[in-house]
Amino acid sequence: MTLHTPVTQDAAQPAYNYAYLDEQTKRMIRRALLKAVAVPGYQVPFGSREMPLARGWGTGGIQITAAIIGPQDRLKVIDQGADDTTNAVSIRRFFEKTANAKTTEATDEATIIQTRHRIPEAPLQAGQIMVYQVPQPEPLRKLEPREAETRKMHAWAEYGLMQVKLYENIARFGEVTTTYDYPVLINGRYIMAPSPIPKFDNPKMHMSPALQLFGAGREKRIYALPPHTSVKSLDFDDHPFRIQSWNEPCALCAAADSYLDEVVIDDQGKRMFVCSDSHFCETRREDGHRGAMLADATSSGLVGESKL
Amino acid sequence: MTVHATFPEAALEPAPLLSVAGLNRFYGERIGCADVTFDLWPGEVLGIVGESGSGKSTLLRCLAGIDRPDEGEVLFRGGAEPLDIYSVPEQERRRLMRTAWGIVHQNPRDGLRMDVSAGGNVGERLMDRGDRHYGQIRERALDWLTRVEIAGSRIDDRPRQFSGGMQQRLQIARVLVSEPRLVFMDEPTGGLDVSVQARLLDLLRVLVRDLGLAAIIVTHDLAVARLLTDRLMVMKDGRVVEQGLTDQVLDDPHHAYTQLLTSAVLGV
Amino acid sequence: MTTMIQVENVAKTFTLHNQGGARLPVFDDVNFSVEAGEALVLAGASGAGKSSLLRILYGNYKPTAGTIRITHAGRPIDIVSAVPRTVLDIRRRTLGFVSQFLRVIPRVSTLDIVRDPLLARGASPETATEKARAMLARLNLPERLWSLAPATFSGGEQQRVNIARSFVDPSAIMLIDEPTASLDAANRDVVVELIAEARAAGSAIVGIFHDEAVRERVATRYLDITAFRKA
Repeated sequence: MTLHTPVTQDAAQPAYNYAYLDEQTKRMIRRALLKAVAVPGYQVPFGSREMPLARGWGTGGIQITAAIIGPQDRLKVIDQGADDTTNAVSIRRFFEKTANAKTTEATDEATIIQTRHRIPEAPLQAGQIMVYQVPQPEPLRKLEPREAETRKMHAWAEYGLMQVKLYENIARFGEVTTTYDYPVLINGRYIMAPSPIPKFDNPKMHMSPALQLFGAGREKRIYALPPHTSVKSLDFDDHPFRIQSWNEPCALCAAADSYLDEVVIDDQGKRMFVCSDSHFCETRREDGHRGAMLADATSSGLVGESKL
Repeated sequence: MTVHATFPEAALEPAPLLSVAGLNRFYGERIGCADVTFDLWPGEVLGIVGESGSGKSTLLRCLAGIDRPDEGEVLFRGGAEPLDIYSVPEQERRRLMRTAWGIVHQNPRDGLRMDVSAGGNVGERLMDRGDRHYGQIRERALDWLTRVEIAGSRIDDRPRQFSGGMQQRLQIARVLVSEPRLVFMDEPTGGLDVSVQARLLDLLRVLVRDLGLAAIIVTHDLAVARLLTDRLMVMKDGRVVEQGLTDQVLDDPHHAYTQLLTSAVLGV
Repeated sequence: MTTMIQVENVAKTFTLHNQGGARLPVFDDVNFSVEAGEALVLAGASGAGKSSLLRILYGNYKPTAGTIRITHAGRPIDIVSAVPRTVLDIRRRTLGFVSQFLRVIPRVSTLDIVRDPLLARGASPETATEKARAMLARLNLPERLWSLAPATFSGGEQQRVNIARSFVDPSAIMLIDEPTASLDAANRDVVVELIAEARAAGSAIVGIFHDEAVRERVATRYLDITAFRKA
């Protein structure tokens, strides 16, 4: 007798709920989101679920996106500023498959932008939702390992210790050396970890018309910035907060006001600085902006001809 | 014979800084400290002496807001309103402990951040209260390091690189920088060499006098008590068995236990 | 005349709890007073309780019974029942004790030790330094020692530092316990002069002097405390 029973192709597809999570879980996450929006910068605990990828790969962000996405939404996913990296592509495909989501690489077309490491260069608009993937939601954790104690510090705004960290930086290196996940004070009340975005992006959060949601899957925390919320990067009166700047514009699109990545382009150690926001850079090139090394990059195949 | 009317005590200060009434702390059946009542006046230094296990450290913890007593109240008059430190919210108590109070622990590791530079350790209380000018914070830190006899060149070194005596002096600077009205010290010279102790004691004596600090010092060392304190409370089995002017308690002890304690030590 | 000390019905008995509760009666029903400008010398055999009485006057020993009113800031205050901070204030402003021993404070220079009482009573640093230097010179303490802490000084040198500290700004009441014990004749004379000057300036003096010659030169009145011994 044979043990094999023929299985049809349709039945082999697991019967996932819309956007992967079951409806009760989505409601739980939405409740956490509502609370987070109501208390800007406050970390709301939530029942983080197992996702079909390892924690630390953006499960917090994915759960938030799953809880808010609908068929009309258009999703953009970026990783290190790029739309075409493995993680970004996988997450986009995940929602195409489980939520029939329309996806896009264009910042201004997207209704939901899930991100890791960057905020797009193009200004966010009212109605857009930023979803940040957060590895460590507790800005005080490295300074105070006890959770019970950090909660009290937040509850009573005892933030001197955070300032001590900046003091130590200046004392040792002459400046604050924290360049990403740079702590911010939300609405004059809670200190918040902005996720590992470069401090270059911190000012974009301030008074942004978009809703910004933060999810930490492993640490089981959600927090949020409602539109038009004040976001102040911590500093000293005599050592004011400053963002990174570069000596040259983007080698491809000549943008002088974007966050640049350093790219090594040959075995001789030749390098160039290019926009980390790939969509922003492409759009500018399409608009006719030409950087110093664009021709070289095109001929060597680093940049596709079709985009020009 | 002339009969003088005895006036009530000269009113030196309008009110005690700290009023402790009916303090009890039990650990199950065992007494931590019992029936402790006293007033501490501004600028006064009170010593609590007794053997290990006499309840002096328990009492200090209750007084300093660390360990809630089972009964009794601790009233602090450092601000506009008298504050019953155990009936105010924890938030208020913590604020008090970072500003108007200071605690010097026996082990400097309990009072210092070992991963933070000397300057950061001293500056923390300033940043706690909202100081946000790096240059000024650093200047104050430098001033305090000098006052506790730590070379300014060590400002960016971490406490790990300091000797035990230096760590203890750093802890004192960290506490005093916020100009507290009241300082608690738990065996401040414990675990230090005798020569290092002498230097620390002299430093404490001068600082306490110059700043007009009120202090409560727990020690088992009667010589420390003699040098630093105005008044003594002698504790045994959780209770205060004798109290009074320090030199009177040490030179003319009345309670059997105090007599035993003073006779067991030479040359205090 | 102003009564500076008024002793009434003072008794002292030591109870040694750790020696079977042994009771050592010292004296009973002591009554006397001391006026400003007087030098009362306590007399009586060794062991009669002269030093104990002096310490009781200072608030250092607690009498078993009685009251001791000290005129402090113009008002009589019972030092026996006064709270510690009042006793300390009386000592700071009114009541000085000169013993033969200097309580050495580590690392404090001789000049600072002598200046201290003046500063504590509000003198300017310049005035305090000037007076302190003059006093040390008068007691023949070599100037090279002034900047040193007296821990390593000889007994006589330490004693002179102590006397300088006590007399640089004499208190309204001075209790003096054998101040000349290990001094040479010249310095003993200085001490006698200092006491006389303090008295002339209005201080009330109560003292114990072992040396009969010194006693004769200092005393304006004697009090034999043997009379108060418990029968």
